[in-house]
Amino acid sequence: MSAHLSIRNLIKRFGGLTATNDFSLEITPGSSVGLIGPNGAGKTTIFSQIMGEVRQDSGQIALDGLELTPLATARRIRAGVSRTYQVPRPFAEMSVAENIRVGLMPDNIWSMIAQGPDPDRELELALSVGFTKDQLEKLPSELSMGDLRKLEMARTMATGPRMMLLDEVFAGLTVGEIAMISGLVQQMRADGMTFLIVSHDLKALEPLIDRAVAINHGTLIADGPYDEVMNDAAVRASYLGT
Amino acid sequence: MGLRWYHFALWAAFAAGMFLLPEIVPRGTLRTIIFANFLAIFAISWDTLSGRTGYVSFGHPFLIGIGAYTTAILTKRFDVPVEISIPLAVLMTMVGGLIVLLPALRIKGSYFALVTLAMMELMYQLVQVIRPDLTGGTRGMSGLPTLTRGAVNGFYMSTALMLSIAFTTWLLMKTRLGTALSAIGMNEEAVAGSGLSVTRLKLVAFTASAFTAGLGGAVYVHYLGSIAPRALFDINFVFTIIVAALIGGAGTTIGPILGAFFLTFLLEYLRPWLPGAERYLIYGGVALVLYMYQPKGLIYLMGQAVRRVRKGAA
Amino acid sequence: MLQVLIQGLLLSGLYALIAVGFTLVFSVGRVLNLAYGAYLLIGGYAYFYFAQSLGLPKFAGVLLAGILGCVIGLVKYRLIVKPLKGDQVAIEIATLILAVVLQSAVILVFGDSSKILLPIIPGVERVAGAAIPYSNLFAAVASWVILLALWWFVKTTHTGRAMQAVSMDAKGAAISGVDADRINMITWAISGTLGAVAGVFFASYTQLYPGMWVAPLIIAVAVVIVGGIGSIIGTLIVAHIVGFLEVMTSAFIAPELRGVFTMILIIGILVLRPKGLFGREEI
Repeated sequence: MSAHLSIRNLIKRFGGLTATNDFSLEITPGSSVGLIGPNGAGKTTIFSQIMGEVRQDSGQIALDGLELTPLATARRIRAGVSRTYQVPRPFAEMSVAENIRVGLMPDNIWSMIAQGPDPDRELELALSVGFTKDQLEKLPSELSMGDLRKLEMARTMATGPRMMLLDEVFAGLTVGEIAMISGLVQQMRADGMTFLIVSHDLKALEPLIDRAVAINHGTLIADGPYDEVMNDAAVRASYLGT
Repeated sequence: MGLRWYHFALWAAFAAGMFLLPEIVPRGTLRTIIFANFLAIFAISWDTLSGRTGYVSFGHPFLIGIGAYTTAILTKRFDVPVEISIPLAVLMTMVGGLIVLLPALRIKGSYFALVTLAMMELMYQLVQVIRPDLTGGTRGMSGLPTLTRGAVNGFYMSTALMLSIAFTTWLLMKTRLGTALSAIGMNEEAVAGSGLSVTRLKLVAFTASAFTAGLGGAVYVHYLGSIAPRALFDINFVFTIIVAALIGGAGTTIGPILGAFFLTFLLEYLRPWLPGAERYLIYGGVALVLYMYQPKGLIYLMGQAVRRVRKGAA
Repeated sequence: MLQVLIQGLLLSGLYALIAVGFTLVFSVGRVLNLAYGAYLLIGGYAYFYFAQSLGLPKFAGVLLAGILGCVIGLVKYRLIVKPLKGDQVAIEIATLILAVVLQSAVILVFGDSSKILLPIIPGVERVAGAAIPYSNLFAAVASWVILLALWWFVKTTHTGRAMQAVSMDAKGAAISGVDADRINMITWAISGTLGAVAGVFFASYTQLYPGMWVAPLIIAVAVVIVGGIGSIIGTLIVAHIVGFLEVMTSAFIAPELRGVFTMILIIGILVLRPKGLFGREEI
């Protein structure tokens, strides 16, 4: 169930800007890592490279020893890694249930046609992220920011990942919603899910991770237990904007 | 979203109503309905690709044309019987369309629309100059074998074809495949982010669209008994197909049918006042106002009205 | 050979003028105006009506055609483009419908049959056995003058530079105090004027008929696609590629095939480089 992610010497340049600078990271099966750094440090770019939405210039990304680099995004998700987006991207004219349905679909045209949707599983996923049963037929336009994040979580979970990348899952959420999502993450951790989490809400992040990794200007500047990383001089300096 | 018994009952009622029409309406109206049927088929085909996935094709006659020309050439020049030439034409549309448009599917948005438009113009120009002994050149071909005689038979044939295409498409779009195709139209990246191969889904949408276009085009040629490049590869024809789908309601199956009937009859009723091409002035004006007012089309407006009445009653 | 060269130059100049109005709107507003060809149609017919039916001076005919194009451009922006708020597909569809509406309006007023425009300047010059009508020469020269004036306008005036800013980064321009709405309106007005004037020349080159808007639209599309979005220089270069391609095809291969290579060029470029050949740099 758990997955092992291995990133080696990842480099990505956009024109003159080095977004990822020789970045390496090992995430052991079942562990949870927080990726922190100031705005524009290159956190989301690393996510995009893991998912294949942005191609690295050089370096390797492997999941359980399977090299992801040649694979398209859909294939990487089938390999077991899935992500949420900082800005939720629901299917605007589909209900909550239908949004989750897309995540649950197998990547196989025939079974898409031959087998109907699985409403029980859709309901189960919706409930697990904290939707109520009567929200199932709601459209994204009728949902709050917190609900949209939950929907994003549910659709990501629906693809059956062994590793999840969470990008700013707490932004725009109420205290109650943060507690809800945190509880969900903790439960998945207990079940062996591997996590890589980006969050500006460090207070909410801390209890969810075994280890923190700090980057600035695409370069790894600290890696270790949360307290140690937060007390690191370079990390403090990066947050002050130098 | 799921299938319910009343969906099938509604389809059955629709089909029964259509097949009763020859008993009620005059011959002239039947002829109008025949054209509406074919337009509906083309609009459904357009909608399968463009209405669902959001890849707008401005060159749909390109696909219709492959089907139409294949069967026309086979029957006229090689004396192939219609029963064989039509399936071959459909196959040719799917294969030919795929070969030509496969590279275009990675092009997004406006550029995709432009490539399809260019494709249609290219086809128009090539048909006239390459092997005119086969294609009939600028004049096209006439005296092709026809499938039916008389308005009533033509009506039954076109209605049966339209209904079976519409019903099949509707069933297909009710499956999870249909949901996935619509999802592409809403947010392509998020579909990829749900672990689905977008390229493969687009290919399926395209192939289904080409199948319908090829079938419709081939049968249409054998209804008319003639084919002319200017009438086929014409921007006015593109316009009619797209407007029918949009006015009725893109992304639905009944919408394009509704739109096709609405537009065909509008055009027909304008004939006494405006006999020539200037009818398109009113036709286009109505289409433009409706589209600007509600891009989701008549089907959505009707749904809204029903919801309002229900709310009033409750 | 000389004949091909001269004809190529003349036709390319006209094509550049046809394409530049389309490019401008695409560049500044990111909008494909599929009714662009209708400016040419309206311009051609307006000139026909004012200069030939009413017998006004020819210069007045061109001027009035330009004014009409300008007004239609403004109305189109206000009533169709702005309410659709940057939904590109919706704008394309709406403008395509509009083009057909305008075409049928022309049919309603002027009828279905084609009309011959009298040459703007009568007379023919013979160069190396080739007959060059003064009209075509005038059209090409006028195109170059207009293009140079436009280039000067975009590079040096305040409004022109604001247009450049919006075309590069609409949000950034808005933050620096550029009124993007006003700039868009001006761009649509210029585009309409250029299109209508190009229509007068184009109609005198070929003939005046209600379906005449499709061919120039395709040319404009080809130029935009091959040249990438936006540069005036790129437009000029590509207009010459397309123009010479057509002239050479009709001279050396077959006149009926003249448009074929333009289409193949569009399709080939888009398939190989989905963002156009030169990409986008500046207006």
